[in-house]
Amino acid sequence: MDARILVVEDDPSIREITEIGLRGAGFSVITAADGRDGLTRFRAEAPDLVLLDVMLPGLDGLEVAREIRRDSTVPIVMLTARGDTLDVVVGLEAGADDYVRKPFELPELVARVRAALRRGRGGPSDAARLRLGPLAIDVAARTVTRDGTLVPLTRTEFDVLAELARRPGQVFTREVLLERVWGYDFLGDSRLVDVAVGRLRAKVEPDPAAPTLIITIRGVGYRAGA
Amino acid sequence: MAAPGDVVEPGALASPRVGERRAPGIRARIAIAVVTLVAVTAIVLGVGAVAFVDASLRDQLRASALRQADYDLGTLIPTALPGRIDRASLNASGLLETFRLRGDVETIVDFGDGDPVVSSFDLVGALAGFPPELRPIVDGGQIAYLWASVAGRASLVLAGHPAAGQPAFYFVHDASDIDGAIAQLRIALLVGSLLLIALALAAARTVARGILRPIVAASRAAGQIADGQLDARVVAASGDEFGRWAAEFNRMAGTLETTIERLRSAEARNRRFVADVAHELRTPLTGLVAEASLLRGELGALPPDVRRAAELLVADVARLRSLVEDLLEMSRFDASAERLETEPVDLGRRLAALVASRLPAATLALPDEPIVIETDPRRVDRIVGNLLDNARVHAPDAPVSVSLTRDPDGVRVAVADHAPGVGAPGPSGSASGPGGPVMDLELLFERFAKADPARPGGTGLGLAIAREHAELLGGSLRATAEPGGGLRFELRLPVTESLPARDEPVMDRRDREARSEPTRSPRP
Repeated sequence: MDARILVVEDDPSIREITEIGLRGAGFSVITAADGRDGLTRFRAEAPDLVLLDVMLPGLDGLEVAREIRRDSTVPIVMLTARGDTLDVVVGLEAGADDYVRKPFELPELVARVRAALRRGRGGPSDAARLRLGPLAIDVAARTVTRDGTLVPLTRTEFDVLAELARRPGQVFTREVLLERVWGYDFLGDSRLVDVAVGRLRAKVEPDPAAPTLIITIRGVGYRAGA
Repeated sequence: MAAPGDVVEPGALASPRVGERRAPGIRARIAIAVVTLVAVTAIVLGVGAVAFVDASLRDQLRASALRQADYDLGTLIPTALPGRIDRASLNASGLLETFRLRGDVETIVDFGDGDPVVSSFDLVGALAGFPPELRPIVDGGQIAYLWASVAGRASLVLAGHPAAGQPAFYFVHDASDIDGAIAQLRIALLVGSLLLIALALAAARTVARGILRPIVAASRAAGQIADGQLDARVVAASGDEFGRWAAEFNRMAGTLETTIERLRSAEARNRRFVADVAHELRTPLTGLVAEASLLRGELGALPPDVRRAAELLVADVARLRSLVEDLLEMSRFDASAERLETEPVDLGRRLAALVASRLPAATLALPDEPIVIETDPRRVDRIVGNLLDNARVHAPDAPVSVSLTRDPDGVRVAVADHAPGVGAPGPSGSASGPGGPVMDLELLFERFAKADPARPGGTGLGLAIAREHAELLGGSLRATAEPGGGLRFELRLPVTESLPARDEPVMDRRDREARSEPTRSPRP
């Protein structure tokens, strides 16, 4: 595993131990101490994953995430202060794929980073072409087109869509989606699924306020419609 | 928990709104007193006035009738009929007609033969109705009078001789005007009295309201203060007794407000300080936790002495982490920064996952039917997680059982450990039968409570935090002593089922189960 990870964290001690932990797990690491520097590094080095502190001096983590999401589907994992529940939702809506709460243990962080990298890689044998309403989903190429136009999705959004589209009509609980897409065994944060579905709907639904492709089964989960 | 609100616990200051309830009573009493007074006065005055007017009208009539009779008997009749008066001369004289035309007077002339001459046919037989004692007076040469009903009309009858040996003349004056006037007077007085009473009632109400206004205002102010609105005051406009009383009341309220505000701000400063400390600790703690986690993986590579130190360091960092996180969580409650994010939650599945991750050794009893309620799953996790941690730390080797039941009141999650001796917190560490030291068990939920000072472990905040979460969910968290030793924590949650969302197809539960079932099966 030789993925390159950009760590954007202002506290030097946390930045350094994170770097040590990720290196130890076999990643190569680039670091940045603030948001502006982080964006510069991101553009210069094109890392495979961004580990982003939310509270950053100057340009904060949310703005950095939004900036990155303008033209990139790179996985973003946020580092967030524990319990700031609004932080989590806002961060996910800004484009983060997953989050790790501070304080964190390195094995936990490495597991989240690995899960985020695994996403978007897909099974090499899986060459399915799926259809969901007007959407054509090419699993091998990881592309979604609507009427021949490419719909840009992050890898997380793509995986959620592909999971649902593989079995149209079947209801997926959020726990199952958390396990299959994010790699959580149990007690993952169901808001990860809800926010990802929300972002996905905004991109693929003709009318996101009245979804027809991804249907909510309240109290249970989601299913693909059409 | 000494929340600032507890200092002004509404029950402590709130007297029931006595003033407001008593006010109508006082008003009614004032009204009754005024109405009674006015009514008695009106009756006394009315009766007096009627009697006076009646007497004076009768006096007038009698005086004028007497004068006239005197003149008629003494002058007119002797002049018109000199000599012996008999039937023929009387009729020829036309006197009776004259009397009638002169005034409203009818005349009966009694010749003593039982066949009197009458001026009007109505009077036939009237003579027999007059009392016999009239006759001796008339025969004595005097003029007698009598109030009597003659031919169905109230009348004044005067009787006398023009001269001895002459027939007796009875002059019958109509007195029915007097009765009519008195009847009219009575009606006028009655109507007047009723008007007066109504007027008095209205006046009494106004006056009573004026008198009671300060009391009503004061009880409203007291109620507002009891409800926590400490700046409520009474308007002390008047310089009377109420004004002075209101000033005293306001002084008391002011003192109370100042004291409570001072206590509150001290409390708030304290809490903010704790929150700030915890917040500041978080950044170095994040470093510590990450560093300790790395160290823990490399313990085997360290020389024995250093390794022991590293082990202790790792354990202490974990303790510090729990403490700081609990403090931060607690301070969020203090700042009321917590908000609910509810969704339908399958409690059985949630509990199974929690037990599996936090205390796999615990036994779990779930009902056959799934229990799905609208609640905040992250808070349920925190509550049950803290209860499991508490059992793990304070009853390390005891069997722990977790159960989920539903009853009419709601849903119950119970976490019970069966550790002998743990059931009785307190120095003695014993004797906790049924009805045991309930107060002591409540102390478990105090901040930094330790079930047993001799047994370290836990931050002392876990149960306090769990209870805060439970209350935020609209439920409760209680501890009871198990009969065979050990503690039983019971979380009660209200059952609130939400309406289906807009885009949810309507399904019954069985359908829902059937449809979600395939997703539960292992991956293909």
